[in-house]
Parts: sequence; structure tokens; C-alpha cells
Amino acid sequence: MIQPQTHLNVADNSGARELMCIRIIGASNRRYAHIGDIIVAVIKEAVPNTPLERSEVVRAVIVRTCKELKRDNGMIIRYDDNAAVVIDQEGNPKGTRIFGAIARELRQLNFTKIVSLAPEVL
Amino acid sequence: MMMLLEATSRNAAVARHSHSATFRNAETQTLHQRTATTNTTMLAALRSRSLPLSSSSSSSLLQQWKLGLPVALSTFAGRGLLDLQEVEKVLSDVKADDVKVIPADKHCEWADFMVLATGRSTWHVKNIAQALIYKSKQKQQGAERLVLPSVEGQEGGKWIVIDSGKVIVHALDENARAYYNLEALWTSKKSEKETLEDLDKAFVKIRPKNNSKRKPTTKRA
Repeated sequence: MIQPQTHLNVADNSGARELMCIRIIGASNRRYAHIGDIIVAVIKEAVPNTPLERSEVVRAVIVRTCKELKRDNGMIIRYDDNAAVVIDQEGNPKGTRIFGAIARELRQLNFTKIVSLAPEVL
Repeated sequence: MMMLLEATSRNAAVARHSHSATFRNAETQTLHQRTATTNTTMLAALRSRSLPLSSSSSSSLLQQWKLGLPVALSTFAGRGLLDLQEVEKVLSDVKADDVKVIPADKHCEWADFMVLATGRSTWHVKNIAQALIYKSKQKQQGAERLVLPSVEGQEGGKWIVIDSGKVIVHALDENARAYYNLEALWTSKKSEKETLEDLDKAFVKIRPKNNSKRKPTTKRA
């Protein structure tokens, strides 16, 4: 459950370290974003000497949430942190590598690029 | 226990189908019926998953259970989706540069092969994607409903992924291919595993030292 003002970790090597959600893309008055949703976010903290800087507005895909993700077969997945991957307008990831485990649902939501970069798919 | 796991693996496969948009209507009803009956078996399977994988047979079964998607795709929708040979033929027909096939079993369990291809321009990359879609349409001529591979990144033309189940084709721009360096990602995984084996060997080598320490105790006895 990501809403505006939620802080998220960054799960890639794009150079951002922490994001803050400012808008969820989808319906006009959508409250919460879940795994596989695109958000607009501000970079709150960035690694020095990288293309991305603090207070820059970027798009990101949510890849991990503390709120549990339910599957049709009864499996429930819950992560320790909220994390997102920075993407550009075309949907290409800004970073070249992704860290941590990622849910299989992203493939069905047409984020195959992110899934293929990920080290582990749950 | 083995029987239960097999049942759940089938169930997981059905769930995967309901996710893929093409089979949603037909499969969801049967899914609901089955989930009601196999909820208890699911619990058992999860419990067994939390246990350490002691026996090889149970681990292979678990792998099958995890592998729900590719297995199901091969049996059910395999007619529509492209094989590796067909993909390679299409790529050579559209003159894609530097085609590389990487078996991805070790890297990830959700696909069998990653195919990398470079296009000379964004138009060329888009044409590669179009040719693959056209091929899969031709393959299913006369079928009641088409099963098309999902395509991602068609607008940009820098990196297009054509996901046809077992084989995943990445058509990239030259710059994008150098930037993401996907070959290194999927081939370096193996080397990491080798280093883990080396670590095991290193631990084995330490043992003789411990034996030498024991010698004085045996002398006392």
C-alpha cells in the first residue's frame, strides 16, 4: 500500500537511494499502489556523482511491498521493505542491475525487462 | 506427501493460466472449485517447503511446483508460441546482428532460453519484433483464438522484449545492448556458482589442520 508521501527504497543501481511517492498513475483519484504499479516519485537521497540527483522527479515501478501480495493458489508474499525500480517514460529501467527478490506477477503485468534483470524471481 | 505435492503443482499451473489474460474466462471457474478442495494440501506443501531440502526427490518435485508456468505453457498453449528454431530463423531472415542464445535454466526458472539480438536502428528493432509477432500469427492460421506473445517496449524501439513463454527474445539497440550488458549478467551467474564450490573446497582443506591438533591427545592416550 504505497500512497503519496510514502518513502521507498530503490532496488537498482540507477544512483537513487530513496524515493518519495508523490502520485500514483492510473485512475484519477487512486489511493494506494501495489506491486507492479507505476508511481511518480521524488528522489530524496542519491548516490553522489550519478546521473540522477536529489529532488528530481522520476517514474518508478513498485517491486516489493510490506503489504502482503496474495496469489490465487493461496500463497502470500510479504517483503520487509517497500522498494521500487526507477524507469523512464518508455518503460526502460534507468539502472542496469536489480537487487533483491522480485515477484513473478511483474511478468504478467508486462515488466519482463525488470524480471529478466532480477537475480531472483519468487 | 508426494501425491499431495503433485496435486498442488497442477493447481499452481492452473493459477498461472488464469493470470495470462488469454485463458482467463475458461480457467477461473475450475480454479475456484479446485482451490476449495486443495487448500489443505497447499498448507502441507508450504510446510514441506519451509523444511530444509534433505532428499533430492522432494526438491525436484518442489522445482516442478515452482515451474508451474513453463510446464503449463508447453502443454496448453505451446501450439501458438514460438520455438527456439523458429525464433532463430526469423531473426536470420530480418538480418538481426549478433544473435546470441543463452540457456537460462541456471539463471532463472521462469524461462528456458534468452535470445539476444541487435538492431541497427530503432526501426530495425521494431521490425524484428513485428516479424516475430507475424510469425506466431502465421503459425496459428485458422485457429479459433490467437495466442500472441506479449511485447514490451514497442514504442521506444531501444529495447523490445518478446515474451513467448519458454523463449524470451530481447531485441536491443546497439547502445542499449552495451549499456545493459545482458550477456554478462546471465553468463556471470555460472561463475559465481563455481566460486561457491571453490569455497566448499577451501573448507575441506582446513580439516587436516584440525586433525593435526588432535594428534597430541591421541599420544596422551
